[in-house]
Amino acid sequence: MTLISPMVDKDKTAERVRARIESGGRDPKDIGFRWLMLATLLFSLLVLAVLVVDVVGDSWSVLSSRLGDFLANPLRSRSDEAGVFTGLRGTFWIGIFVICLSFPIGIGAAIYLEEYATDSWFTRLVDVNIRNLAGVPSVVYGILGFTIFVGLLDGPFGEDGAFGKTTVAGGLTLAVLSLPVVIITSAEAIRAVPQSLREAGYGVGATKWEVVRNHVLPYAAPGILTGTLLSLARALGEAAPLILVGAIRGRLGSNAGFFELGQLREQFTAMPILITEYATKPGDDWVPVTAAAIVILLLVVLGFNAVAVLLRNRFEAKREGK
Amino acid sequence: MSTKLLRLLALLFTFTLLAAACGGSDDSSDGASGSGSADAGECGEGSISASGSSTVEPITTRAAELYEDVCGDIQITVDGPGTGDGFALFCTGETDISDASRQIKDSEAEECAANGIEYTELLVAFDGIAVLTNPNNSAVDCLSFVDLYALLGGESDGFDTWAAGSDLGAGLGSDVAPYPDAELFISAPGTESGTYDSFIEIVLEGVAEESQGEEAPAGFIRTDFAGNAADNVIIEGIAGNDTSLGWVGFAFAVENTDIVKTLAITEEPGGACVEPTIETIADSSYPVSRGLYIYVNNDKLTSNSALAPFVEFYLGDAYTEAVTEAFGPDAGYVPLPDDLKAETDAAFAGAAG
Repeated sequence: MTLISPMVDKDKTAERVRARIESGGRDPKDIGFRWLMLATLLFSLLVLAVLVVDVVGDSWSVLSSRLGDFLANPLRSRSDEAGVFTGLRGTFWIGIFVICLSFPIGIGAAIYLEEYATDSWFTRLVDVNIRNLAGVPSVVYGILGFTIFVGLLDGPFGEDGAFGKTTVAGGLTLAVLSLPVVIITSAEAIRAVPQSLREAGYGVGATKWEVVRNHVLPYAAPGILTGTLLSLARALGEAAPLILVGAIRGRLGSNAGFFELGQLREQFTAMPILITEYATKPGDDWVPVTAAAIVILLLVVLGFNAVAVLLRNRFEAKREGK
Repeated sequence: MSTKLLRLLALLFTFTLLAAACGGSDDSSDGASGSGSADAGECGEGSISASGSSTVEPITTRAAELYEDVCGDIQITVDGPGTGDGFALFCTGETDISDASRQIKDSEAEECAANGIEYTELLVAFDGIAVLTNPNNSAVDCLSFVDLYALLGGESDGFDTWAAGSDLGAGLGSDVAPYPDAELFISAPGTESGTYDSFIEIVLEGVAEESQGEEAPAGFIRTDFAGNAADNVIIEGIAGNDTSLGWVGFAFAVENTDIVKTLAITEEPGGACVEPTIETIADSSYPVSRGLYIYVNNDKLTSNSALAPFVEFYLGDAYTEAVTEAFGPDAGYVPLPDDLKAETDAAFAGAAG
């Protein structure tokens, strides 16, 4: 190893050190920068606060007087009867699809790319492609879902008049949509695992599988979780791809309960679609209904995020405990 | 420290899901008990799917909601992707009912014919299109189709004041021109909207052909304004600018007469100015109105035993409330006058046999 000495003028350095000491640590640029950064933080918090206060304020008349009703009723044409049941149910099942499909597949792909694949033109091509896929607008995934999933499901499910525009098609579409983001964030988390950890594992005679399972994955788990649940939250807020896959924008005629499996083969709707529908109704009566639906969707997403943070903290505590 | 907060949030989330789940089972049992009282024979069996115009969707939805008390077991889905999309589904036999804010086009009728789909067209209501400006704009009260073309038509691209359209309007015989010298702020529906198409068809197309010739090289409508799909946003745009101009479905205008001003309209310059009201739209004296239709698949009237009783209910017991109160107790569309309603009833009776 060669040491590279920095090219500095000795006199100038001395001068600067003296100035720094004499100014009592009050470099105007330093202070300015600090306040600027604080301002950016406050700005983003302010935007969020205004949004939340505004929405919760608008929704209060609905949430405080008839929360149970609001959660239990479907879309109705009367603002005092309208609810979010059908949308909440659709969003719940779409979330299940994303969790069950895109998480295992995405994390698996990330493990392969980071731990097993050799650095060849092929893996580099795959890597670039996944990164590009993550930036593809969600509408494009909707078209993909319409062509592939709706068409594909047309055969087996078509007979009950469901013509493939089912919860399954919606769930699959959003699972595919969140897949690239899951792969990228998981791969980043796995890449951040120190090489020394792997070497230590091999050093005591562990196989590749044992190293990945017992050392790499637990270490990368917090990072993987954050990424995956953020992508889930994003998927739950998507409206455009669902409209293309045929989510019902008006009344959904279905008596299925929340956890009934049969509805997966039926037409569906979701929270973002319902919010759009309520937002476009005429009259002031619909403002609190729309706001209340937004609050419910916010709570669902916040709930998922809270679970992610809890799990991450647990994994982190475990990792540091050892 | 923050784990307590997080636990609370997680609990809240679980509670939300649970509440929704319980609510769901309540809801379905309600439906079951409701249907117990009804005669299953009258209701038929099966489910009904309707799609098409988002303008007509509220009428069909309200009819379906009222039908719950009569035949709670019949599941009726009503989607509103747009008239054209609705016919695409209808003509491949996917839907039983197609909602439409215009009559079926020849190309769509051919598609239906090619798939062997026979249908019955039922006129159910009228919808007026209200032309709006700001209540503070006292300079304008009544405009003719020619004036609207001079301000909004294909040749008005780039006009950023009302006055800029004066020469064009005067040339076409307007008696209102010159227009006030004020900013022209346009707040109107976008291209995806049926209201946009209807406005072009009813108001602009005729004048454009008169002014530019059959080919209408400059187009029917100016392209330099940003349209909006949400009627509430259009209303806000009108209310937010003193010299705004735009148009929106009548039901949305009526709900907001405190913040926007509806303009009286006359077809020919110098003709009688007519304000849009339920009466003037019903007797067609207000010139900017259109018919709202439902199309029913004839084969499904026999093959789907749930369909005929529902359409009968739609045109019968539910009709007045579904049309006039489609959006709420005091917001809806304009019902048909008796003679046209009788024609619709006769058309349905003929199809249902």
